[in-house]
Amino acid sequence: MRPFLAGYRLELRIVRASPDTLIPFFTAPLFTIIFLTIVRHGGRHDLQPDALMAPVLMTLWWFALFQGGNLVTGDRWQGMLEWILATPSSLAVVILGRISAIMTLGSFGFLEVWAIGKLVFGVSIPFEHPFALALTLLVTIFAMAGTAVVFAALFVLTRNSYTFANSASFPFYVLGGVFVPIALLPGWIQPVTKVIFMSWSSDLLRASVRPSPIHDEWGRLGMVLLIGGLSFLFGRFVLRLVLRRMRTSGELATA
Amino acid sequence: MMLRVTESRPVESAVDVQEIRRVFTPRKREPVTALDGVSLTIPVGEVHGLLGPNGAGKTTLVKILSTVLLPTSGKASVLGHDVVEEARAVRPQIGIVFGGERGLYWRLSGRQNLEYWGALYKLSRAEIRERTERLLDRVGLTDRADERVETYSRGMKQRLHLARGLMGDAKVLFLDEPTTGMDPLAAREFRALITELRGEGRTILLATHDMAEAEALCDRVTLIDHGAIIATESPRTLGRVILRFQRIDVEGAGEEVLGRIAGLAGVESVAPAEGGARIEVAETGVTADVLKLLVDAGVTSVRTSLPSLEEVYVHLIGDRGLRV
Repeated sequence: MRPFLAGYRLELRIVRASPDTLIPFFTAPLFTIIFLTIVRHGGRHDLQPDALMAPVLMTLWWFALFQGGNLVTGDRWQGMLEWILATPSSLAVVILGRISAIMTLGSFGFLEVWAIGKLVFGVSIPFEHPFALALTLLVTIFAMAGTAVVFAALFVLTRNSYTFANSASFPFYVLGGVFVPIALLPGWIQPVTKVIFMSWSSDLLRASVRPSPIHDEWGRLGMVLLIGGLSFLFGRFVLRLVLRRMRTSGELATA
Repeated sequence: MMLRVTESRPVESAVDVQEIRRVFTPRKREPVTALDGVSLTIPVGEVHGLLGPNGAGKTTLVKILSTVLLPTSGKASVLGHDVVEEARAVRPQIGIVFGGERGLYWRLSGRQNLEYWGALYKLSRAEIRERTERLLDRVGLTDRADERVETYSRGMKQRLHLARGLMGDAKVLFLDEPTTGMDPLAAREFRALITELRGEGRTILLATHDMAEAEALCDRVTLIDHGAIIATESPRTLGRVILRFQRIDVEGAGEEVLGRIAGLAGVESVAPAEGGARIEVAETGVTADVLKLLVDAGVTSVRTSLPSLEEVYVHLIGDRGLRV
């Protein structure tokens, strides 16, 4: 637990010292305005909650992918990676702690989007199933942190991780049904989306802000947890392989 | 020239390296052998110097012992634990200090950096707090502890590196060019600290190319070059090994006598020096012949001197200058 907390605390301190890492909080209101304008202009006021949920997920995913995904690469470039590996702590656990801190901060995007919807358009997030909403956000954050470990492990192999992070964001927005529900995508794509935790999360988030009862709530929450957990384990495995390769090739440090 | 100095193997070793070889294979380039069959044993409590020029293989050896680099072949252990197979058992026992400015979170304070490191060594909160204060005081950074590392001078960063290396209360310390960037006063304080650490029973492997530092601090010194060990001995013994490279400084010697000396077998060089000439001999016993010639020629201002570790270093490794 100490390595996890060490990572968690470190990341909060880094963010405090580097406010530029909070840039998604400046873009989230813009996405909120764009999506709400689209659905309102199209006369689909029933989709306003969907338009509010999308920027929340996008903000969280941005933090996971860009901040979390670049943690190992950043430590490598700063000459830290080797010395962290030479300590008794597991790098994967430290990284998970750091990503969890990032995701905790990212969750404030929910409040921001809610406030923008209310202040600019007078639209509020309808808390039809508040418990389900809170729980879905929680497991979504967990799954994003687990998935970010995979990216953190893979990005360290690339020369320009930001390019890959940028490329990885949009497929996840589509396959995760962030704004457009999976059910509206072409049929042949839909099976692929089942292995993306965000497709379960986004559907569940939308369901939790609608008055109708939530179908199979626990099963869907379980799927998010399962995919997120498996992602973390896979990420830890990939990280171990990547680090072993780098210890062999002598590439843990940059010159 | 290769000297073979017999090394007695101690019973209890903190570091044991057997026939370690490390080859790097850069993309689209020829493989580079950084370590070529290095064997070395460091007993518990010893301060051991690893002396060699840039590119000699010092850092590669330190990285292998720190578990962050895998050897191509051979075995190495720290306090009885294999650095490859039992890396997890090695890591809580070691501390690493590298020279240079990297390896710290610049936007965090010195104290925050140390606290993070303490947590990575799985210390309790109370231990982290106590050790951070003690180490900051020990390296003279208490007054600047809460300022960002990016505002520190190079020497201060180096001292913070040292404190970081000590956070885990390591039994074995690997110091790679630790005084890089320190001013002379800070370097002297650093050396005093190393002496204190030795007094606490820690084993220290000090990789350096600073001969004076190795001579002042180390119980034994290993000379390494091109990935191979040239000799391992105490700095004093190593100096005696090349007593034959003794130098003689003379004043008032004429061209004729200097010419005769230059023609003697075993005289390596006769070169003009401030106020006279410097004669370097390359064989035991030649010094007496040189002195006899000088006295016979009526030269009385003669001074012989013992080799410093620097001279040992230059003679054994060669004067490569900046070439690596």
